[in-house]
Amino acid sequence: METKHKILVLDDDADWLETCRDFLAQLPSEPEIRIASTGVRALSMLDAQPFRVFICDLNMPRMDGLQVLSIVRRRFPNLRTVVLTGLQDDQFRSRAYALGVDLFWLKPDMQQNSQMFLDCIESLLGREDSGGFRDTQAKNLLDVIQMESISENSSVLRITSGQLVAKMWFHHGELVDAAAEGADGEAAFRRILKWKSGTFESLPAEPEHVRTITKSVDAMLLESSQIIEKAVNPTSAEELAQQKFVGQLAEIAVEGAEFLVSVPAKKEITAKAWGTKNTEQLAAWTRHVEKAAQRLGETLSAGPLTHISAHNLERHLLLLPQSDKTYVVGWPPEAMPGHLFEQSKKLTKSWDS
Amino acid sequence: MGLLKWFSSSRPAVHKLPSGSFTVDRHGKVATSTVVTDFPVSLLDDIAKEILSVFREAHAAQMPLAEVSLDFAGLQISARDMQGGAIIFLSPKNPLATASPAGSKS
Repeated sequence: METKHKILVLDDDADWLETCRDFLAQLPSEPEIRIASTGVRALSMLDAQPFRVFICDLNMPRMDGLQVLSIVRRRFPNLRTVVLTGLQDDQFRSRAYALGVDLFWLKPDMQQNSQMFLDCIESLLGREDSGGFRDTQAKNLLDVIQMESISENSSVLRITSGQLVAKMWFHHGELVDAAAEGADGEAAFRRILKWKSGTFESLPAEPEHVRTITKSVDAMLLESSQIIEKAVNPTSAEELAQQKFVGQLAEIAVEGAEFLVSVPAKKEITAKAWGTKNTEQLAAWTRHVEKAAQRLGETLSAGPLTHISAHNLERHLLLLPQSDKTYVVGWPPEAMPGHLFEQSKKLTKSWDS
Repeated sequence: MGLLKWFSSSRPAVHKLPSGSFTVDRHGKVATSTVVTDFPVSLLDDIAKEILSVFREAHAAQMPLAEVSLDFAGLQISARDMQGGAIIFLSPKNPLATASPAGSKS
C-alpha cells in the first residue's frame, strides 16, 4: 500500500504554521503536513515517526533553528531539511548550508515565488523514488554513499573531482568495489573520501563486477572517516566542545526535557545552560530557593534536601542539589510530575558521566 | 517536686515533624492552620517567610510559579501561590515521626 510522505514544519509562530500547512497542502503528492512550535517538540516528533522533509524556522526562543538543525543532521542524516526564515542575513544562510540543509528560503521569497517553492519541496519529497542520487545539491560524499546503501541500490557511482575520476560499485546497497587514482578496493575508497569536492553521477549497475570489498559500508565509512579526520583535520578543542554541546542538547531532547542548567554553588562561577537563554535569572533564583530550603531543613531538622520541584502554566522545574552545584531541569507542562524526579536524576547522571 | 521541675525545664525542646496545612497572607501572617497546636507558631512563621520569598524571587526572575515543593528526607513542604499569600502543606515522610494535625485523634 502506498503511504504518503510526511513533512514536519517547525516555527514558533502559530499563525505562520497554519498558513504553511494550508500552503503545503497544495503539493501534488499530497503529503501529510505536521507542525511543531518548539524544537524539542519537533525532535520528539521526528523520533516518533519517519518524516521525509523537515522545514525549520531559525529565529525561535529557547532552542533556535540552527541548534535544532545541528541535532537533526546528526540524528536523522537522511531527512531532507529546509530553512524557511524571515532573517535576511547571508551569515545565517551560510551557517545553515554549512550544517548541510538542502534548501534555504526566505519567507517573503516563498510567498512571492510560491510555485517555485512548491516545486522545490515536491522535488525533495520525490528524490529517492527516482532511484538514487542524480545530482550534487548540498550533499557530501558520505551522504551519497550512505543513501545508496540504505536504499539498497545497485549502481555504479562515478565521482569526478577536477581531473580525477573514481568509481564505486554498489550491489543491492553493498559496496563491492572502488577504483581511484590507480588504487582499487578499500584503498581507493579511502582516497576518494579525502576528496574535498566533486560531482556524482549514477551509472547503470554492473552486477558481474568482481567484489573486492567485504566490509559493510557503515564499517568502511567509520574507519575511513576516523582515519581521515585524525590525519587531515585534527579536531580542535573548540570543535570537540561544540560536538559535546550538540550531543548534550540531543540528550535533553531525547529525554523530553526543555532545558538543563548547571548552577555552581559559588556565585563567582557562571552557570552553564543548554536549551535556555534565561540563565542568570534562573541561577539567581535557584541559589535563593536552595538556601531557603537549607535554612528550613536545619530549623525543622527535616533531613537532607533531596530535590525541589516547582511549576507554572508553561513548565515544570526540577532542582537537584549536588555537592558543588545544582542542576535545574525544565520539563514541558504536559510531562508527568510523578516521574520527573527520576527522569531528571537519570538525565543528570548521564550528564556527569 | 521542685527538683523534678528543674530537670524538666532543662530538657531541650524536640519537636516532631509537623503535619497539616496552613494559609498565610502576603505579609506572612498565618490565617488558618490545621497543624497541631503545640507546634510553635514561630516555626510556622519561618516556613511561611521562606516560602513567600521563594515565590517572590521567582516572580522577580520573570517566571512566576503556581506551586513549589521542597522535598527533604523526612518532610515535604509544598506550597501553592494564593495571590501573594500561600497555602502550605506539611507532609512528614516517616509516619512514626508525625505530630497529628490539630483536631484529629491519634
